[in-house]
Amino acid sequence: MVFSSILFMFIYLPIVLAVYYIVPARWRNLWLFIVNLVFYGWGEPVYILLMIFSICLNYVSGLLIGRYLPARRKKAKGVLILNTVLNLALLFFFKYFDLVAETLSMIPGVDIPALGLTLPIGISFYTFQTMSYPIDVYRGDGHVQKNFIKFGTFVALFPQLIAGPIVRYKDIAQQLDERHESADQFAAGVERFVVGLGKKVLIANNVGMLWDVYANAAPGQLTFVGAWMAAMAFSLQIYFDFSGYSDMAIGLGRMLGFTFLENFNYPYISRSVTEFWRRWHISLGTWFRDYVYFPLGGNRKGLPRQLLNLLIVWALTGIWHGASWTFLFWGLYYAFFLFLEKMFLLKWLQKHAVVGHIYTLLVAVSGWVIFQQTSVSQTAVFFRAMYGFGQGGFCCGQDLYYLAGFGTMLLIACVSCLPLGRDLFNRLPQKVRTVAAPVLLLAVLVISTAYLVDSTYNPFLYFRF
Amino acid sequence: MNKTEIKIVIAVFALFILALAVLLPVMPDVEFSQQENRLLQQLPSFSLEALADGDFTADFESYTTDQFPFRDAWTALKARCELLLGKKENNGVYYCKGGALIPNFDVPAKETVDKNIDYLNALVDGTDIPVYFGLIPGAGEVQASLLPKNAPMGSQQTVIDWAYDRSRAFNIDVQSALGAHKDEYIFYRTDHHWTSLGAYYGYEALCQAMGLPAPSLASYDRQTVSESFYGTTYSSSGFSWVKPDTMETFVPDDGSVKVLDMSKDPPAEGPLYDASFLDVKDKYSMFLGGNCPLRSIETGHEGPSILIVRDSYSDSLAPFLLENFSRIDLVDLRYYRDSLASYARDNGFDMILVLYSVNNFSTDRNLFLLEPSLLETEEEK
Repeated sequence: MVFSSILFMFIYLPIVLAVYYIVPARWRNLWLFIVNLVFYGWGEPVYILLMIFSICLNYVSGLLIGRYLPARRKKAKGVLILNTVLNLALLFFFKYFDLVAETLSMIPGVDIPALGLTLPIGISFYTFQTMSYPIDVYRGDGHVQKNFIKFGTFVALFPQLIAGPIVRYKDIAQQLDERHESADQFAAGVERFVVGLGKKVLIANNVGMLWDVYANAAPGQLTFVGAWMAAMAFSLQIYFDFSGYSDMAIGLGRMLGFTFLENFNYPYISRSVTEFWRRWHISLGTWFRDYVYFPLGGNRKGLPRQLLNLLIVWALTGIWHGASWTFLFWGLYYAFFLFLEKMFLLKWLQKHAVVGHIYTLLVAVSGWVIFQQTSVSQTAVFFRAMYGFGQGGFCCGQDLYYLAGFGTMLLIACVSCLPLGRDLFNRLPQKVRTVAAPVLLLAVLVISTAYLVDSTYNPFLYFRF
Repeated sequence: MNKTEIKIVIAVFALFILALAVLLPVMPDVEFSQQENRLLQQLPSFSLEALADGDFTADFESYTTDQFPFRDAWTALKARCELLLGKKENNGVYYCKGGALIPNFDVPAKETVDKNIDYLNALVDGTDIPVYFGLIPGAGEVQASLLPKNAPMGSQQTVIDWAYDRSRAFNIDVQSALGAHKDEYIFYRTDHHWTSLGAYYGYEALCQAMGLPAPSLASYDRQTVSESFYGTTYSSSGFSWVKPDTMETFVPDDGSVKVLDMSKDPPAEGPLYDASFLDVKDKYSMFLGGNCPLRSIETGHEGPSILIVRDSYSDSLAPFLLENFSRIDLVDLRYYRDSLASYARDNGFDMILVLYSVNNFSTDRNLFLLEPSLLETEEEK
């Protein structure tokens, strides 16, 4: 199930909320546990078993580690390693097996058939999330969760189950035991959810169509203007799609009394790639920092080791985004710029803000082309057109047609990348806001509903991740 | 946020969601959408089996969108928003000058066209009966001047050129005939078909190619049969505020014509114009009664007999042909599965006409049935 669907908004959500607030507080975790499984299993009911297995595995590991600590540290470590290996094995099997099989089958004499399994939704997100729990317990950052229902609720919590933010156990442990729902929180949650809905349904889906127009253009047809429009459209689509989804998750969480950490912070206003990644998909960056980069030694073991660590983290970050070598390449592309910035560039960029903005946008937008194109050759077609070596010329009639059709939306989207709208709204007198907030809310709800009802065009990008 | 804002925000959200959530099951389920011209998903029955293979959840989700309260109004709202943003198309249909809704066209791979023409040529080579061939361009080609500025539109002329260059049949220049009258009402504004007027110009081109006399336009007794026709492009586009089309007949049904549905046993007699379709969405099917695997018309006139390999454009053309032919058979390769060549031979047809719209010809996968050798062997089985 996805949030931006009629089924979720008009059937699932009202039922979940109504029962949640009718039953006594002590039953609320159990209710969430049940509806989480319904949410998860909706698309592929069989995978509920996988989810339950995953919950049991990490639940038991956590218990064992808790029991062995602090006296038998070696045994606890053994359990932790075994648990991590099993979690990653599941992720590998469902997500990467076919990629590896296909790649190895290119070697003469090797023939491993692909399995063609459907990717269980959100597996990349919840695997990372569950893995963090035994690690936190082992490190003493989180306490053991003895209540199976509470633990299950954490793992499969529907707001962030399929597209994050990746919630670390330690950030939410206390809220599982005790959280305070309030009208204040609920209203804030509603506003956040509707903002996210609008970002996803009204902006992301719309500009996404522009990218689709150009994505497979032949070299002779792709102009400079067309390529940039398309690359821009996808950069906007992925931001509004993903951050919209995070907004919805955070909003839903608040409606249920949870507080999740922020996942996006206006990434396109960054002045360096380093800053960009502190503002983009924050929970993933934090996860890799805490559970991979720091344990590897981070920057404390000399420059060559730091470079190696960067490469490892960014190779993993890249391939985490999808089972294709282009994602690995995309990750290493970022490792390159981050390393440059760590060496000298960052200091210089801090003194040249305008250059910093332009450079960061160029790196990010070009990066999304690598990210989204399924073949290196098509990426090359785009880069040639974008950087002035294309065969398609500067601009053509078709570009003007699409510019006329999508220009307004692109402009709205670009402005929405800035904190401008939020700041202006907050500056309004409270009296005006009291009227404006509900009016805007209703407008976004109504128009989003129209788009949802109309459109089968509702692909959710992060299903592949 | 102050207390008032909190209250209003929660109330607005809850009322909006709950109102629709309650209406969805309460409002009676609709079986068929006139607007979309398709059956809507009904509440699926639950079974463990359907749940396990995912059918139940998928059908249930379609049910919620198909039966959503005021579904058509929501689609119209979306189409309005798109226009407001400056987009001149919705769901593959252009919003054109004068409120015409013209579908986009994708040029198929040349191989697809070549292959279909090879089947046609096999028919030409495999029979002694003269074979005529016509491709009917759509409004996107003939009335391209109505399209939004710079709108991408595949060239149907290209497909016609590819096809006619390769064809060994007698090609009919429908394109020029329609092009000469491109400012007239020759295509429906809300449907992909030609109007009866468009069909008349096609008929003129046909007569010219076959050496037959065609009566002048003024000699027909034009009757308006409907002023509320909303066609296919209306349905798919969601531009639901445009004016409906007018449908006309040129040739009266004087009762001397016998239209037989040969797929029934015994063949069932039907009218030349089935007025019952004028009361439903699919009004175009008024001509001859719509799709049928094989239809045979005994015109009551003197003249040669003709076998037409048809798509739906031929249905509104057929009335014009009555005067020139004694017998007109229309075969639809999508449904007809017997041997075409032997049917033509056994019934002693004087000519064969293969007539398709460019769009249907570009996507058709059944033209292999034209190939006589293949059909002979299939027949022997």
